[in-house]
Amino acid sequence: MTGVEAGLLSQGLLALAASVAAVAAPARRRNVLAGAACTALAVAGALTGGAALAGRTGRIALEGVLPLGPLVLAPDRLGGFFMLLAGCVGAVVSVYAIGYVQGVSASRTAWCALAAFLLGMQLVPAAADVLALLSAWEVMALSSTVLVLTDHARRTEVRPAALWYAAMTHLSLVLLLAGTATLAAAARSTSFDAIAGAVRPGSVTGNVAFCLLALGGASKGGLFPLHVWLPRAHPQAPSHVSAAMSAAMVTMGVYVVLLTCLRLLPAGPTWWGVALVALGANSALYGILQAAVSSDLKRLLAHSTTENIGLAVLAAGVGILLRGHGAPGAGDVALTSCLLLLLSHAAFKTALFLAAGAVLHATGERDLDLLGGLAATMPWTATAFGVAAAGAAALPVTSGFVAEWVLLQALIHGAGPQDRLVAVVMPMAVGAVALTTGLTLLTCVKAFGTAFLGRPRSAGAAGAHECGWTMRLSVAASAAAVVLLGLVPGPLAASLAGAVGARGIRAVGLLGIDLPQVHALLDPLALGLAAAASTGAVALVSLVGSRRRRRERVALAWGCGGVRISPRMQYTATSYAEPLLRVFDDALRPERVVEITATGQGAVFVERVRFRQRLGDVVELAAYRPALAALDRLGALARRVQNGSVHRYLTFSFVALVVVLIAVTL
Amino acid sequence: MSARRLIALILRTGRVAEPAPPAPEPLAAAAGLRGSVQVRHVDAGSCNGCEIEVAGAFGPVYDAERYGARLVASPRHADALLVTGVVTRNMAEPLRRTYEATPHPRLVLAVGDCARNCGMFAEGYGVVGPVSSVVDVDVEVAGCPPSPDAIVAGLRRLTGR
Repeated sequence: MTGVEAGLLSQGLLALAASVAAVAAPARRRNVLAGAACTALAVAGALTGGAALAGRTGRIALEGVLPLGPLVLAPDRLGGFFMLLAGCVGAVVSVYAIGYVQGVSASRTAWCALAAFLLGMQLVPAAADVLALLSAWEVMALSSTVLVLTDHARRTEVRPAALWYAAMTHLSLVLLLAGTATLAAAARSTSFDAIAGAVRPGSVTGNVAFCLLALGGASKGGLFPLHVWLPRAHPQAPSHVSAAMSAAMVTMGVYVVLLTCLRLLPAGPTWWGVALVALGANSALYGILQAAVSSDLKRLLAHSTTENIGLAVLAAGVGILLRGHGAPGAGDVALTSCLLLLLSHAAFKTALFLAAGAVLHATGERDLDLLGGLAATMPWTATAFGVAAAGAAALPVTSGFVAEWVLLQALIHGAGPQDRLVAVVMPMAVGAVALTTGLTLLTCVKAFGTAFLGRPRSAGAAGAHECGWTMRLSVAASAAAVVLLGLVPGPLAASLAGAVGARGIRAVGLLGIDLPQVHALLDPLALGLAAAASTGAVALVSLVGSRRRRRERVALAWGCGGVRISPRMQYTATSYAEPLLRVFDDALRPERVVEITATGQGAVFVERVRFRQRLGDVVELAAYRPALAALDRLGALARRVQNGSVHRYLTFSFVALVVVLIAVTL
Repeated sequence: MSARRLIALILRTGRVAEPAPPAPEPLAAAAGLRGSVQVRHVDAGSCNGCEIEVAGAFGPVYDAERYGARLVASPRHADALLVTGVVTRNMAEPLRRTYEATPHPRLVLAVGDCARNCGMFAEGYGVVGPVSSVVDVDVEVAGCPPSPDAIVAGLRRLTGR
C-alpha cells in the first residue's frame, strides 16, 4: 500500500470517526471531539494531496458501493493540488468551528454534515472515474445544502437561500452527469484514462461534453450567469461553512474545467479557450461590480468569489488558447497562474470569511453601514482581515499579487501579433483583469475601512469583543498563509507548474519565481529585503528625530468650529460606493426612492427626508424570474390533473389498467 | 488669457502697491514665530464692513503679504487668528474651538471697534461681548471699520517686518 492509498483510506476512517464523535459524544465535549476529528480528516486530505502533487501515486477501487461498477480513487498531480487546497482550508475551518459553533450550528447533524462535506470535497479531485467523481460530488452537494440549512428554524430567509443553492448545485450535478455520460458512452468506459484515449476533442461528442462539463463547473463555481446562489447561500450559512464553500468548494468548478480540458479532452479546439476567457472575464467584472456596491459584508465576499473564480477560469482559458496557438510557453505560465490564483483565493477568502464570522459573532451585525471602529476592540480580527483584504486587492507582498503578476506576464507576453485571434483576445483580457483589479482595490478599502476604522455606527459594533483563541488562531493562520505565499512563492509555483504539465518554471533566488518562457522573474523576498535595507536608514533617522522633538498634543478633530462626534457623519459603505454606482448605473440598475415629508408650511420647510436604495441582480430579474414564473405556470397546469380528488385518481388508475390490458391483449 | 497678454498687462499696469511705511514696533509675544505668519480670519459676528477692509488689506494696493502675512483656510495651518465683529452667542463656542485648534504659539488680532469693545452693538441681546471676553487678544486695531493700512500695521506687529 502506497502513502497516497493509506491517506485515502485514512480519510474515510477519519470521516467515520468524526461522525461517531459528533453523534456519540456528550454535548459538552462534542465541539472539541468532532472538531478534532474533522481537523484530522482535513489534515489527512492535505497530506495526501501534497503527496499526490509531489508525484506519488496510489489507487483504490471500492467494489460493490454502486451496482454500476467500482469507484476508483487515484489522484493525479492536478487532483492532488485541489485535494491539498481543500484539506488546508478544511483544517483551518475545523479549528475555527470548535470555538465558533454554538446552538443549532453545534448540533449532531451539523457536525456530521461538516465531516461529510470535507470528505466529499477531498475525494472529488481524487476520483479517477466518472462514478467516483459524481458520487463524491453529490456527497459534497448534499452535505453543504444541509450545512446551509443549519439555522432555518430561527431565520426565515435561510430556507429560500438553501432552496436556491440546492437547485443550482443540482443543476451543476445534472450537467456534469450529462457531460460525463456523453463521454463514457462514446468511450464505452467510465475510467478517465479510457475516455482520454477514446474521444477526439474536436468531434461533436467532445464539443457537447465540453459545453456540459464547463457549464456544470461554472454553476458550481458561481460563474456569471449561474452565480445567483452565491450571494444568497453564503450570507445565510454559518461563517465557517461559508469559508469552506467559498474557498474550497467553488474551486471544484474550476477543477472540472481543468479536468475536462487537460486530462479528459486534451488539446481541444480554439473556441474552448475563447469561450472560457469570455466566461471568466464576464464573471470577474460582474462579480466585482456587485461586490463593490454591496453593503452586506458576507454578500460582498460572496460576489468577490465570483470575481476570483472568474479570473482563474480566464487564466485557464488563456492557457488553453495559447497552447493551441503556437505559444505553449506563455500558455504554461497562464495555467500555472490559474492554480496560483485559486490557492491565493483560498487563503485570503478563508481569512476574510472567518474574520467576517468573528465580526458577526461579536456584534450581531453583517451590514457594513452599521459596523465601524472594530480595529480598536478586535485587533486580531482586524489585522487578519486587513492582510487578507490586501491579498484580495493584489497588493505586493501578498499571494494575490504574485498570482495576478504571473497571469499578466502570460497575457502580455502571449500576445503575438502574428496570430489575429490571440492579438485580439489578449489585450481585451488584460483590460478586463486591470479593471477588475482596480475595482477590487476599491471594494477592499471599502470593506476594511467601514467595518474596522472610524467609529462604531451601532450599539452592536460599539459593544464588540475579540473572539476565542481557536477562532483567532485559524484567522491568523490563514492571513499568515496569504503573506507567506506572497513572500516565498517559488517552490509551490514550481510544483503547481508540474500539475498542469508546464515545464521550466522553477524557484530562483530567495524562493522567488522564474518564468523562463516569458523572460520574467519575481523574487518578492529579495525585493522586500532590498526595499527594507534602502528605506531602513531613512526610517531610523526619522524615528530618532521624532523621539528628540516630541511635541504631541491630543486635540479634538477639527470640525470647522462645530464638533464631529456623530458616527453618522462618517462615510458609509453605501456612500463610499455611490460614485461607482452612478458610473455603472446602466449595468447595476439601482432602485432609488427619495421621500420628502413637508411640514405643511410650504414646500421649503421639510420635516423629514427618507432615502432608500435597493440593488437587485439584473440577471436574476431578467432571466431567472421569468423562467421561474413559467415553471410556476406549468405547475399550475399540472395541478388540474392532480387536484386531490380521490375519484379522479381512481379513474386514472382504472383507465391505466384498461390501457395496459388492451395493450397486453393486442 | 494667454501668457503673452498676461505679461503685457503686468508690464502695462506696473506696480500699484503703496510705498511701505516705517515698520511699527514688533510684538514681544510674536518673537516665537519664524518665517511668515499664517493668519486665519474668523468672523465672530461682524457687519462685514471689516471684511471689506481686510480684503483691501490683502489686495494689491496695501499688499499685506509683502510683510509676510498670509491668509490660510484652516486654523490647523495658522499662527494667528484675525477676528472681526462682536462675538455673538452662536459664534462664541466656534471661536473658542478655533482658538483651541490653532497650534502654539498662537496670537489673536482683534480688528475693528466691535471686536475691541462691542462698538455700536454693545448690550445687544445676542452679543456675548468683545473678543477679549472669549479668547486672549494680543493686538487690537481700532476703527469702524479700520482702514486697510491700520490692519496692515496691526499685521506688521505680528510679522515684525
